[in-house]
Amino acid sequence: MSSRPVHELIKELSQVLVQISDKVVGNLYNALHAVKHQDEQGARQIRIVDHEIDVAEVTLEERCLAFLALQQPVARDLRTIVTIIKINDDLERIGDLAVHIIDRMPEISQEMLEFFSFKDMGMHAGDMVEKSIKAFISKDRMLADEVCALDEEIDVMHRSVFKKVTALMKSPDSDVDQLIAALSISRYIERMADHASRIAHEVIYLVTGEILRHTGGFYEKLIGSINTDNSSEYHKGV
Amino acid sequence: MTTDVTTTSESVSTKKATRDIYLPPERKKVTGGGNPHIVAKNFSIYYGDFEAVKKVSADIFSKYVTAIIGPSGCGKSTFLRAINRMNDLIPSCHTSGSLLFDGEDIYGKYTDEVLLRKKVGMVFQKPNPFPKSIFDNIAYGPRLHGMSDKKKLLEIVERSLRKAAIWDEVCDRLDKNALGLSGGQQQRLCVARTLAVEPEVLLLDEPTSALDPKATAKIEDLIQELRGSYTIMIVTHNMQQASRVSDSTMFFYEGVLVEHASTAQLFTNPKDPMTEDYITGRFS
Repeated sequence: MSSRPVHELIKELSQVLVQISDKVVGNLYNALHAVKHQDEQGARQIRIVDHEIDVAEVTLEERCLAFLALQQPVARDLRTIVTIIKINDDLERIGDLAVHIIDRMPEISQEMLEFFSFKDMGMHAGDMVEKSIKAFISKDRMLADEVCALDEEIDVMHRSVFKKVTALMKSPDSDVDQLIAALSISRYIERMADHASRIAHEVIYLVTGEILRHTGGFYEKLIGSINTDNSSEYHKGV
Repeated sequence: MTTDVTTTSESVSTKKATRDIYLPPERKKVTGGGNPHIVAKNFSIYYGDFEAVKKVSADIFSKYVTAIIGPSGCGKSTFLRAINRMNDLIPSCHTSGSLLFDGEDIYGKYTDEVLLRKKVGMVFQKPNPFPKSIFDNIAYGPRLHGMSDKKKLLEIVERSLRKAAIWDEVCDRLDKNALGLSGGQQQRLCVARTLAVEPEVLLLDEPTSALDPKATAKIEDLIQELRGSYTIMIVTHNMQQASRVSDSTMFFYEGVLVEHASTAQLFTNPKDPMTEDYITGRFS
């Protein structure tokens, strides 16, 4: 089957998306490194790269919109372009979250970072983003499912940080500002994993044509987790 | 090659539900209760020994707009023309299987072709008004069916021209020759002429392929206006047109109905790889 110029263009847009994802993941790892070593120079570089990501995101979106208007794609081509637009948006937000981590750098000590194992958590989120993009490139439904499952592990880590922070805050000599910064960093990484999970859902849509967001017993899980939390808190109180 | 997804009448209720998922609310209102108006069962059309349409089974739903797409020579126009027996004019043409209209066999022994064509009107690729006045063009059908009351004829002419969205453009020159109208106006006049005999089904065979974009847009708007009042079937090579105007789409290839699904589904997530390749231009 011969490849038409229009399909070459779709490949090109996909490649641009992969380039953006490389920058985003690289920036995330650099942000974790910079925070750990309190590296001001590295932090500046991260902001510069984030600006480049922002510009690239807008350019890619403009190219995708022009493609929709001019080529009027359907079926797989339509799903691919829509998926690129949505993943592009998720990647840009992940990039912003890396900068948010840097913003918290002055407020948090190295000991606190190590105490909460933020490096492991961040690496885990970065791995999810990498895997979700790999799933997009290879249109791999199984890998996309795997990414969605990994999100749960990050949620568990985030809940653990939340519990530790609330416990520490009860102590009269606790450094509340630092604990809030720690909670924020945990929340930023958890949000990154959510975006990776969204990307994986977009890949599932690309492959199957089915929109799986807000399905799969999410609501039941949420209610279940609230009930579990409430009941454990209740028992603690008792 | 997969078979059609909304075609057999045995499971209409479940398949209607599946199809309706893809319909926006305004289109759900015009399903006419979801009754199949035209039903093909293993329906084949032959030109001599050549099987041009091969064992097609499909339900065409009442008050729906159904688009038929496919490459040249795939049998889509042949299938469309079979619905009001236009193929009878070709001596070597014969059929097998059944094609039902309101439950009655279109190719039945006692079917009255004239009555059938009154109920199933057709508009062709090239506008073909009669070399008569605008009024006489529209009044031709009702007169043929015995209408002679001038007042009633005037009412029919006005109603038909209004339905075809051309009344405002021609109301002050009904006695003028229809051939003096523009191509787009002539095509809408042909639609009005078809509507004058109060058909239930409108067959449109590439109705805009000879028209400019402005006239095409008017015909497409007209199809939207008529949706919900008539069962409309349109053959088109323009896939954007099929996706814009239709509720369901049939894809034919080499005489076979490859896929029949809601237009939204067929153009976003077709089930058959051949449909996918055709609509995305990957056909070798």
